Amino acid sequence: MTPHRLRALLLLFLVGLLAACTATPSASTDPSTRIAATSAASPSGAAAYPLTLTDDAGRELTLEAEPRRIVSLAPSNTEIACALDACDRIVGVTDFDDYPAQVVEVDKVVTMAQVDVEAVVAAEPDLVLAAGNELTPTAVIDQLADLGLPVLVLYPESLEEVTADIALVGAALGRDDAAAALVDDMETRVAAVESAVADLERPRTFYEVSVFEGTIYTAGEGSFLASLIETAGGAPVIGDALSTSIELEDLVAADPELILLGDATYDETITPESVAERPGWETMTAVATDRVVVVTEDVVITRPGPRIVDGLEALARAIHPDAFAE
Amino acid sequence: MRAGVAPRPLVRGPALTRAALVLGAGGALLLAALVVGIGLGSVSIAPDDVLRVLGHRLLGIGAPSGVSDAVETIVIDLRLPRVLGAMVVGAGLACAGTVFQAILRNPMADPYIIGTAAGASLGATIGIVLPLIVPALAIGAGSAWLGLGVVQLLAFGGGVGTVLIVIAIARSGGRLPSVTLLLTGYAVSSLLAAGVALLMFASGRALAAIFSWLMGSLAAVSWIDLAIAAPVVLGVFVALFARWRSLNLLLLGDGPAAHLGLDVGREKLRLTMLATLATSAAVAISGTIGFVGLVVPHLLRLAVGPDHRLLLPASVLLGAALLVMADLGARLAGGIPVGVVTAVVGAPFFLWLLRRSRRVSAPNSA
Repeated sequence: MTPHRLRALLLLFLVGLLAACTATPSASTDPSTRIAATSAASPSGAAAYPLTLTDDAGRELTLEAEPRRIVSLAPSNTEIACALDACDRIVGVTDFDDYPAQVVEVDKVVTMAQVDVEAVVAAEPDLVLAAGNELTPTAVIDQLADLGLPVLVLYPESLEEVTADIALVGAALGRDDAAAALVDDMETRVAAVESAVADLERPRTFYEVSVFEGTIYTAGEGSFLASLIETAGGAPVIGDALSTSIELEDLVAADPELILLGDATYDETITPESVAERPGWETMTAVATDRVVVVTEDVVITRPGPRIVDGLEALARAIHPDAFAE
Repeated sequence: MRAGVAPRPLVRGPALTRAALVLGAGGALLLAALVVGIGLGSVSIAPDDVLRVLGHRLLGIGAPSGVSDAVETIVIDLRLPRVLGAMVVGAGLACAGTVFQAILRNPMADPYIIGTAAGASLGATIGIVLPLIVPALAIGAGSAWLGLGVVQLLAFGGGVGTVLIVIAIARSGGRLPSVTLLLTGYAVSSLLAAGVALLMFASGRALAAIFSWLMGSLAAVSWIDLAIAAPVVLGVFVALFARWRSLNLLLLGDGPAAHLGLDVGREKLRLTMLATLATSAAVAISGTIGFVGLVVPHLLRLAVGPDHRLLLPASVLLGAALLVMADLGARLAGGIPVGVVTAVVGAPFFLWLLRRSRRVSAPNSA
């Protein structure tokens, strides 16, 4: 490989990492294949094992007994398990895991986005919570399943699917009641946001995921992030469905009335002032009317776990500050 | 064809001893790499546990007592296929590199030079991205025909198919001129690389998977992969070794080789296809791992001379050993791409050898 090609690939890879950090779903699985309720769990909460579940990748898995050793291959999965009071059962996480604080101490089985399959096997898990859409590579999922490990793939693409996944993990862990309570609470909070913004104007909202080497990344067409902005009472300016990028001229033509700087969560040099200085951006209504807002909650906005509702509320506050004034 | 032009007859005493020494050293190195490669990994397992598992599972001696299922799985299902996979890939690439450097008489030649890598990359990338664009294909994409993945099959087909196209374009009147072959390979590669870049751009989350494939990785080698790739590489090696005279003759140049009775066009075609088969089989299970196929044959040509009777088997042994060690380094360094390790370890050593030998690295001048 020539140095030139290598450099081009490296650039593309870095861009991809940035895009991946946003957890913006970019491809869709057929919703009808998700969470077929083949669970043999009794609805009352005491799950009956062996238990057969269908995950978000359409794979079936059978759990012989209540899982006691869980490996989580994505921070959102860790948060789901912990929210269901199973944090002490987690024996492997990723180096990105930061919430709740106690998981930082757990052994890392994913470093630099690479799943260390040896470490997963050595953790002797009786449940592996993987992520879909190549966040956990399909090859790794196949490899783990071939080794006889029960792998549950979670890939929620909307608020409803997050709550469905929480219910799915609840069923797997025999924590149906805790899951139902959590889902209930989340749905109440989502409904509150929905009713608060129902009659308000929907500003054309551009959520900046990142700007890298001139390429602008935002919510892709049909993505979770786009639907979240919509639920929060905005009209999302969307990028390409797969690459989640948008050309500057398309962005200028879309003329956002509100710009949310999600990337400011990680980089404090990104400010409304720095945005106003970008060539071409000054023509946008949002810049001209001073509606460029720093968002510091990008982690919960883009992590499809229980705290996604925190993200939704943060978005709603940013889009409609008056409606949520304390 | 039966012209006695072998530059250094090996059949006589001292040369034979030398060959035995070189190959013996290569074999010992490979054996050492094998032992260390299976013994070490990201999870530390006591050497006697490793031996107990291997003895029990492979030779049927001893009892499995005292070793947990997890340890057994790690040794038998993860490390062993991975180490053997590194051997097969390293051997295949070194073997192919030796052949391409001989038939193209070009010091820059590596196994990928006439389009194999670009074709395999495009195939693999399509295999990775397609299920995302057409969700219906996602089901069963992981385990397709004969237990081989769609990605592996498309990579192998892409590599072989691309070389067939390149040859069809480059061939004229039964001749296969090296320069035309190189330039055609370069042009076709560029075209396919554009396709890969386009797919990468549109790949969303799958970008990481594509990138890791392009950098090469032995993490996902399974026993089934090995069962398919190992016989291909072994068969190609045997077939190439049997053609050592042709390879030696081609070092003299197309003209002289033809004068000495070689059907240069056909022989080059055969050798190219054999090397392409080995390369594609290797790449299909590991992705495009760089450097091994370029450096190992060079290094050995400087060390043992250009006679393919010795060069070819020595390259296979060293290529296999080098990649096993490089992959171990990659594993211990937290899963970094193996191609990074081959380059970091191999390049300085290669440069040192180049300077020390004070010889130009062109194969025909060695």
